[in-house]
Amino acid sequence: MFAITDRSIDVQALLDAVRDPAAGAVVFFLGTTRNQNAGRRVVRLEYEAFARMAEREMRALAAAARRQWPLRKVAMAHRTGVVPVGEASVGIAVASGHRAEAFAACHWLIDRLKEIVPIWKKEHFRGGAVWIGAQQGGPEPTRRRASRRRTRRTRNR
Amino acid sequence: MRVRLRYFAALRERMGTGDDRMLGAGTTVGALWDMLVAEHPDIGAVPVRFAVNERYVEPSHRLSDGDEIAFFPPVSGGG
Repeated sequence: MFAITDRSIDVQALLDAVRDPAAGAVVFFLGTTRNQNAGRRVVRLEYEAFARMAEREMRALAAAARRQWPLRKVAMAHRTGVVPVGEASVGIAVASGHRAEAFAACHWLIDRLKEIVPIWKKEHFRGGAVWIGAQQGGPEPTRRRASRRRTRRTRNR
Repeated sequence: MRVRLRYFAALRERMGTGDDRMLGAGTTVGALWDMLVAEHPDIGAVPVRFAVNERYVEPSHRLSDGDEIAFFPPVSGGG
Protein backbone atom coordinates (compact mmCIF):
# COMPACT_ATOMS: atom_id res chain seq x y z
CA MET A 1 0.00 0.00 0.00
CA PHE A 2 1.49 3.29 -1.14
CA ALA A 3 -1.06 6.05 -1.02
CA ILE A 4 -1.54 9.77 -1.24
CA THR A 5 -4.92 10.45 0.36
CA ASP A 6 -7.00 13.46 1.29
CA ARG A 7 -8.51 11.55 4.20
CA SER A 8 -7.22 10.65 7.64
CA ILE A 9 -4.27 8.24 7.69
CA ASP A 10 -5.77 4.76 8.12
CA VAL A 11 -3.41 3.24 10.67
CA GLN A 12 -5.10 -0.14 10.67
CA ALA A 13 -4.98 -0.38 6.87
CA LEU A 14 -1.22 0.27 6.93
CA LEU A 15 -0.71 -2.37 9.61
CA ASP A 16 -2.87 -4.85 7.72
CA ALA A 17 -0.85 -4.17 4.55
CA VAL A 18 2.38 -5.36 6.19
CA ARG A 19 0.92 -8.39 7.97
CA ASP A 20 3.21 -11.32 7.22
CA PRO A 21 3.56 -14.69 8.97
CA ALA A 22 7.36 -14.55 8.56
CA ALA A 23 7.60 -11.17 10.32
CA GLY A 24 8.71 -11.00 13.94
CA ALA A 25 8.52 -7.21 14.14
CA VAL A 26 6.42 -4.36 12.78
CA VAL A 27 7.71 -0.82 13.27
CA PHE A 28 5.22 1.95 12.65
CA PHE A 29 6.01 5.64 12.29
CA LEU A 30 3.28 8.26 12.47
CA GLY A 31 4.13 11.88 11.71
CA THR A 32 1.69 14.27 13.38
CA THR A 33 1.17 18.01 13.16
CA ARG A 34 2.74 19.99 16.00
CA ASN A 35 1.02 23.02 17.51
CA GLN A 36 4.17 25.13 17.29
CA ASN A 37 7.16 25.49 15.00
CA ALA A 38 10.11 27.89 15.08
CA GLY A 39 8.42 29.92 17.80
CA ARG A 40 5.17 30.25 15.87
CA ARG A 41 1.80 29.03 17.09
CA VAL A 42 0.66 26.69 14.30
CA VAL A 43 -3.06 26.76 13.55
CA ARG A 44 -3.10 24.08 10.87
CA LEU A 45 -0.93 22.50 8.18
CA GLU A 46 -1.82 22.06 4.56
CA TYR A 47 -0.13 19.55 2.27
CA GLU A 48 0.06 19.48 -1.50
CA ALA A 49 1.40 16.54 -3.51
CA PHE A 50 2.19 15.60 -7.08
CA ALA A 51 0.20 12.49 -6.27
CA ARG A 52 1.13 10.02 -9.03
CA MET A 53 4.82 10.83 -8.82
CA ALA A 54 4.73 10.83 -5.01
CA GLU A 55 3.26 7.32 -4.98
CA ARG A 56 5.89 6.19 -7.47
CA GLU A 57 8.69 7.71 -5.38
CA MET A 58 7.37 6.06 -2.22
CA ARG A 59 7.38 2.69 -4.03
CA ALA A 60 10.94 3.35 -5.20
CA LEU A 61 12.02 4.18 -1.65
CA ALA A 62 10.47 0.96 -0.37
CA ALA A 63 12.31 -1.00 -3.07
CA ALA A 64 15.57 0.72 -2.11
CA ALA A 65 14.97 -0.11 1.57
CA ARG A 66 14.40 -3.74 0.70
CA ARG A 67 17.76 -3.82 -1.05
CA GLN A 68 19.45 -2.53 2.12
CA TRP A 69 17.65 -4.59 4.75
CA PRO A 70 15.94 -8.01 4.74
CA LEU A 71 12.39 -6.70 5.04
CA ARG A 72 9.13 -8.57 4.63
CA LYS A 73 6.73 -5.74 3.75
CA VAL A 74 6.53 -1.94 3.60
CA ALA A 75 3.49 0.35 3.43
CA MET A 76 3.40 4.15 3.28
CA ALA A 77 0.64 6.76 3.18
CA HIS A 78 0.72 10.56 3.16
CA ARG A 79 -2.23 12.86 3.64
CA THR A 80 -2.90 15.98 1.55
CA GLY A 81 -5.10 19.00 2.11
CA VAL A 82 -5.68 20.58 5.49
CA VAL A 83 -4.44 18.54 8.45
CA PRO A 84 -5.55 19.94 11.83
CA VAL A 85 -3.06 20.13 14.70
CA GLY A 86 -2.62 16.76 16.41
CA GLU A 87 -3.63 14.64 13.41
CA ALA A 88 -1.35 12.44 11.34
CA SER A 89 0.10 13.58 8.02
CA VAL A 90 2.22 10.50 7.25
CA GLY A 91 2.32 6.84 8.25
CA ILE A 92 4.99 4.24 7.49
CA ALA A 93 4.81 0.55 8.45
CA VAL A 94 7.73 -1.84 8.07
CA ALA A 95 7.64 -5.57 8.80
CA SER A 96 10.76 -7.72 9.07
CA GLY A 97 11.94 -10.96 10.60
CA HIS A 98 13.66 -9.15 13.47
CA ARG A 99 13.20 -5.69 14.95
CA ALA A 100 16.60 -4.11 14.22
CA GLU A 101 16.12 -3.93 10.46
CA ALA A 102 12.52 -2.73 10.77
CA PHE A 103 13.59 0.16 13.05
CA ALA A 104 16.49 1.08 10.77
CA ALA A 105 14.46 0.91 7.57
CA CYS A 106 11.52 2.87 8.99
CA HIS A 107 13.87 5.65 10.17
CA TRP A 108 15.59 5.75 6.78
CA LEU A 109 12.26 5.79 4.91
CA ILE A 110 10.84 8.83 6.73
CA ASP A 111 14.12 10.73 6.33
CA ARG A 112 14.25 10.00 2.60
CA LEU A 113 10.55 10.74 2.13
CA LYS A 114 11.13 14.22 3.50
CA GLU A 115 14.02 14.73 1.07
CA ILE A 116 12.67 13.50 -2.24
CA VAL A 117 8.96 12.65 -2.36
CA PRO A 118 7.12 15.55 -4.09
CA ILE A 119 4.96 16.75 -1.22
CA TRP A 120 4.88 20.28 0.19
CA LYS A 121 3.77 21.61 3.55
CA LYS A 122 2.22 25.01 4.10
CA GLU A 123 2.20 26.14 7.69
CA HIS A 124 -0.65 28.40 8.75
CA PHE A 125 0.16 30.26 11.95
CA ARG A 126 -1.21 33.27 13.78
CA GLY A 127 -0.54 36.17 11.48
CA GLY A 128 0.39 34.39 8.27
CA ALA A 129 1.29 31.30 6.30
CA VAL A 130 4.49 30.00 4.76
CA TRP A 131 5.54 27.12 2.52
CA ILE A 132 8.12 25.16 4.50
CA GLY A 133 11.39 24.77 2.65
CA ALA A 134 10.73 27.57 0.15
CA GLN A 135 11.12 30.68 2.26
CA GLN A 136 14.30 31.93 0.59
CA GLY A 137 13.47 35.31 -0.86
CA GLY A 138 10.32 35.53 1.24
CA PRO A 139 8.99 38.97 2.09
CA GLU A 140 9.52 39.06 5.83
CA PRO A 141 12.99 38.88 7.46
CA THR A 142 11.78 37.31 10.71
CA ARG A 143 10.16 34.51 8.76
CA ARG A 144 13.38 33.79 6.89
CA ARG A 145 15.36 33.55 10.11
CA ALA A 146 12.78 31.25 11.62
CA SER A 147 12.83 29.01 8.56
CA ARG A 148 16.60 28.64 8.64
CA ARG A 149 16.49 27.54 12.26
CA ARG A 150 13.91 24.98 11.36
CA THR A 151 15.90 23.69 8.39
CA ARG A 152 18.96 23.09 10.56
CA ARG A 153 16.94 21.24 13.14
CA THR A 154 15.38 19.06 10.47
CA ARG A 155 18.79 18.14 9.08
CA ASN A 156 20.07 17.18 12.50
CA ARG A 157 17.25 14.77 13.22
CA MET B 1 7.59 21.11 -30.10
CA ARG B 2 4.86 21.47 -27.53
CA VAL B 3 5.40 20.67 -23.85
CA ARG B 4 3.24 20.98 -20.76
CA LEU B 5 4.43 22.88 -17.69
CA ARG B 6 3.25 22.16 -14.14
CA TYR B 7 3.98 24.11 -10.98
CA PHE B 8 3.59 23.15 -7.34
CA ALA B 9 3.31 24.78 -3.91
CA ALA B 10 4.83 28.28 -3.75
CA LEU B 11 5.54 28.18 -7.49
CA ARG B 12 1.93 27.26 -8.24
CA GLU B 13 0.69 30.20 -6.18
CA ARG B 14 2.96 32.49 -8.20
CA MET B 15 2.61 30.95 -11.69
CA GLY B 16 -0.69 29.06 -11.72
CA THR B 17 -1.00 25.32 -12.14
CA GLY B 18 0.71 25.42 -15.54
CA ASP B 19 0.12 25.62 -19.27
CA ASP B 20 1.39 24.44 -22.64
CA ARG B 21 4.39 26.02 -24.27
CA MET B 22 6.11 25.84 -27.66
CA LEU B 23 9.88 25.27 -27.56
CA GLY B 24 12.69 24.78 -30.04
CA ALA B 25 13.74 21.17 -30.59
CA GLY B 26 16.35 19.95 -28.12
CA THR B 27 15.73 22.60 -25.48
CA THR B 28 17.03 21.47 -22.08
CA VAL B 29 15.06 21.68 -18.85
CA GLY B 30 17.61 24.11 -17.47
CA ALA B 31 17.30 26.40 -20.50
CA LEU B 32 13.50 26.33 -20.15
CA TRP B 33 13.81 27.31 -16.47
CA ASP B 34 16.17 30.16 -17.41
CA MET B 35 13.52 31.42 -19.86
CA LEU B 36 10.86 31.32 -17.15
CA VAL B 37 13.12 33.15 -14.68
CA ALA B 38 13.85 35.80 -17.32
CA GLU B 39 10.09 36.33 -17.67
CA HIS B 40 9.41 36.19 -13.90
CA PRO B 41 12.65 37.17 -12.11
CA ASP B 42 11.24 36.68 -8.59
CA ILE B 43 10.84 32.92 -9.07
CA GLY B 44 14.61 32.55 -9.38
CA ALA B 45 15.06 33.21 -5.66
CA VAL B 46 13.97 29.70 -4.62
CA PRO B 47 15.93 26.55 -5.50
CA VAL B 48 13.99 24.34 -7.90
CA ARG B 49 14.06 20.70 -8.98
CA PHE B 50 12.74 19.32 -12.24
CA ALA B 51 10.74 16.24 -13.12
CA VAL B 52 9.93 15.17 -16.66
CA ASN B 53 7.06 12.74 -17.09
CA GLU B 54 7.08 12.16 -13.32
CA ARG B 55 10.79 11.36 -12.99
CA TYR B 56 13.48 13.60 -11.55
CA VAL B 57 15.93 14.88 -14.18
CA GLU B 58 19.03 17.07 -14.24
CA PRO B 59 18.97 20.54 -15.82
CA SER B 60 20.88 19.14 -18.82
CA HIS B 61 17.97 16.82 -19.71
CA ARG B 62 16.78 17.44 -23.30
CA LEU B 63 13.04 17.77 -23.74
CA SER B 64 10.91 15.99 -26.31
CA ASP B 65 7.57 16.85 -27.88
CA GLY B 66 4.70 16.06 -25.51
CA ASP B 67 6.82 16.04 -22.34
CA GLU B 68 5.27 17.15 -19.07
CA ILE B 69 7.75 19.21 -17.03
CA ALA B 70 7.08 19.70 -13.32
CA PHE B 71 8.85 22.44 -11.34
CA PHE B 72 9.29 21.73 -7.65
CA PRO B 73 10.26 24.09 -4.84
CA PRO B 74 12.12 22.24 -2.03
CA VAL B 75 9.90 19.38 -0.89
CA SER B 76 8.69 19.34 2.73
CA GLY B 77 6.47 16.33 3.30
CA GLY B 78 6.33 14.41 6.57
CA GLY B 79 4.99 15.31 9.98
